Amino acid sequence: MTELIHNAKKALDRLKIKFDDVAIKMILKDTVMVKIWNNQISVTQSWRTIESRIYLAKDKRILELSLSLERPEDIVKVCDEISKYVSVMKESEIYAPLPEPTAYEPLKDLTDAKIRNYMDNPLPLVEGLIGSALDNGAQRVAGTLELSVERKALATSKGFEGEEEGSEVMCYLRAFKEGVSGHWAFGSRRVNEESIRYVGRKAAEIATLSKSKVSVEPGKYDVVLSPLVVGNLLNDVAMMASGLYIMMGFSMFMKFKIGDVIASDIVSLYDVPRNIELARSTSFDDEGIETYDKPIIERGKFTNVLHNVKTSSKLGGKTTGNAGWITPLPWNIELKPGDYSEEELIREVRKGLLITNNWYTRLQNYIEGQFSTVSKDAVFYIENGEIKGYTERIRIADTFVNLLRNVKAVGKTQYLIRWWEVRIPSKVPYLLATNVNITKPYA
Amino acid sequence: MVLSEDLVQRALDEALSLGASYAEVRYQRDEVSEVTLRNGNVIGFGKNISEGVGIRVIVDGALGFASTNILTIDEIRRTVEKAINRARALAKLMKEPISFSEERVGRASYNVIPKKDLSELSIEDRITLGVEIHKSIINTVKEVKVAVTAFFIRDHIQEKFIINSDGAYIKSYIPRLSLTLNFVLAHPQKGTLQRYVSYGASGGSELIKEWKPVEEVVSEVKNLERVLLKGKEPPKDEIDVVVGPEVVGLIVHESAGHPMEADRILGREAAQAGESFVKPEMIGKYRIGSELVTIVEDPTIPGSYGYYLYDDEGVPARPRHLYHKGIINEPLHNRHTGKIFGVGSNGAARAMDYESEPIIRMSNTYFKPGNMEFDELIEDIKLGVYIKSFMEWNIDDIRWNQRYVGLEAYIIRDGEVKEDEPVRNPVLEITTQGFYSRVTGVDKNLRFYPATCGKGEPAQGVPVWIGGPNVRVSRIRLGVRV
Repeated sequence: MTELIHNAKKALDRLKIKFDDVAIKMILKDTVMVKIWNNQISVTQSWRTIESRIYLAKDKRILELSLSLERPEDIVKVCDEISKYVSVMKESEIYAPLPEPTAYEPLKDLTDAKIRNYMDNPLPLVEGLIGSALDNGAQRVAGTLELSVERKALATSKGFEGEEEGSEVMCYLRAFKEGVSGHWAFGSRRVNEESIRYVGRKAAEIATLSKSKVSVEPGKYDVVLSPLVVGNLLNDVAMMASGLYIMMGFSMFMKFKIGDVIASDIVSLYDVPRNIELARSTSFDDEGIETYDKPIIERGKFTNVLHNVKTSSKLGGKTTGNAGWITPLPWNIELKPGDYSEEELIREVRKGLLITNNWYTRLQNYIEGQFSTVSKDAVFYIENGEIKGYTERIRIADTFVNLLRNVKAVGKTQYLIRWWEVRIPSKVPYLLATNVNITKPYA
Repeated sequence: MVLSEDLVQRALDEALSLGASYAEVRYQRDEVSEVTLRNGNVIGFGKNISEGVGIRVIVDGALGFASTNILTIDEIRRTVEKAINRARALAKLMKEPISFSEERVGRASYNVIPKKDLSELSIEDRITLGVEIHKSIINTVKEVKVAVTAFFIRDHIQEKFIINSDGAYIKSYIPRLSLTLNFVLAHPQKGTLQRYVSYGASGGSELIKEWKPVEEVVSEVKNLERVLLKGKEPPKDEIDVVVGPEVVGLIVHESAGHPMEADRILGREAAQAGESFVKPEMIGKYRIGSELVTIVEDPTIPGSYGYYLYDDEGVPARPRHLYHKGIINEPLHNRHTGKIFGVGSNGAARAMDYESEPIIRMSNTYFKPGNMEFDELIEDIKLGVYIKSFMEWNIDDIRWNQRYVGLEAYIIRDGEVKEDEPVRNPVLEITTQGFYSRVTGVDKNLRFYPATCGKGEPAQGVPVWIGGPNVRVSRIRLGVRV
């Protein structure tokens, strides 16, 4: 037993005398992050943190805490102080008792020893990242390399005890060449120097793909979306599948029921906590329920709301192992592959755009799924299956359902993506969607 | 403060003894409490206490930052070593060694003292307010249904203690309160309309009385029901558009504040929050807007959400005119960019929490008001649109190509806002220069709104105010949301 689970249990033993439900999750995390600008380092950052997250319920009143504390006596002291709120709180609308623990199959090989080694000496990775972009034609690069190892321990008043350690690498690079930029990203539990160099190479490849500038008019276009764009947009879709998001009015799934067709039948979007390639893979959720992979959208049909015991008892169904004590969330997402190569996707397009990266996705109305998002790096105009040049910055302004229903082809190669605009680790391919609304400023 | 001043000083001494040419140690404690309600029913109470120490050093021309919340002398010493060693290990990749501008840093302690302490707004009071707001929304609608309401009330107490090797010694204590509402109106034929709105400021429980959220939400729900039921597409021709303070505040934050962050201008955020259309040679020369356009950035506004008197590098805060009478004027600087530009820092370095490196941030950004009354602003508009609030917005990463989709909006006809002619989802999609160069009128009704501004890696969200008066822009073609 490590000190982490020992401390969690010790605090739990003290708190369960006073509360009906208690869960304690302690997280110890070591991280190093190197930020790059103008082909050099802007800052090297290191963190070592202990965080204690505590869930308490008494007479159906819910309290949730996050504390920068490690010692059980300190945790109990803060909990004692806030226990006074129980008497003045009201019963929670979503209260449900913590679940009885279930057996779980621990995931193996979540930690890559190489990541720990590189944390002390990230130089080979950083040099590889910058060098591969510059060697492939980039003039200037900016990006991030983050390496971390996290241990979590969970104990609940229902008797669950679990502990897990995992490593993570997140790497992304933006390469510039004469006013055009390309961007690529990688996120995984495992690292090797080639996977990092690939990020730099791919970013440079996009930045140098075309030297001709063309202008496009607003209107409907067929669009090929890169894995960075697919990851960004499907992060939002997956988040909206959370039972609590649906309840609180932050979800397009408010107006759909399970089984409704919301996407093309070649779209299958999964929550994949058991995929150990991806950084948030985990054996058990915050309520001590074994995780499992599940579709959110299966062959175009809305298939699962992501639940903890609270949202499932409120909305119907059963927990999907996605707790969050209050908010169920996706762990990792995967868009199942299709059978198109990337060249074939482009060849399918008569008049359209290849959008290589986007940012700033915002919604006018979550229930209607009305969103827009701006291109961040190169957008290429495609005519008759050939790239004709790069365009100015444009915007996709449509609804998620229109976009998902208009998916016509999905790439066969999946990429492991995580970066600033893709916060949920994602395994996603390129895709082609038709008739997508594109806008740009008129003046 | 849990950590002794002596320990903070020892960390600084340790960093210097290990070879740092600059060192800074910041203890920071952030305590946030939040109550959440849905449809007037309690979901839960949350508390987050984040407390630790962040150490920043320059070693061999490289910048290092390390933090820990394990506040023992051994762990803090290890953290100092990590900051130094890891920066030094990568220093060979530095082409332009980092150094900071010389500054007269502060030695001061300051507190925001609320009129009424936050503790006087009890949990019961907070729940009662959430229930009251929910009921007032339900009771206001006539023909539409309320699909859901969500209510979040949060207080945030922030304490910082900063020392650095140039002699800065800054202690601060800032309490903040914020309140956020989300509601969805639904109609079987007209669909749904969603509103997300926040109140926020530094201060105490007296703020609730000043905000009058119940009265405001009642008025707004009435108006938005009308927009949902009767809203029409905006005119297709070029017209005059009057943009209300909420939208103006967002526009200046996005297209004046962000592009005037000097770290963006230099490319330090290129891979994350982006760069800027502003180039160093444009400063003091380039006309971005009409003479009516002056955008102010001021951390020192009492009671503001983004309030501070010294930044996290110890530099005194002061107002800055980002755009002055239509000219690109003064970027936001920290000591690093201040050195590169040769102008020194103007006190814009902020860190979200102890784990965050201080980076250039906005505080309170606003469009400087004029002298006109609102009636004067619109009196000669034959046909126009007044956009009062928004939901969807975004801007490209160089802060040039931007889009705002109105929520509450009306036709202006013959110098009058026609409340019986609401406009549904008007789209203002325009370039930065396109917007500011078309400004033809500015009224005197300055109002501020809270926001959480995101930037950096790991992403840092800091409280800011955004604001402005009503602003008239001419020759605008509005789009329609698909």
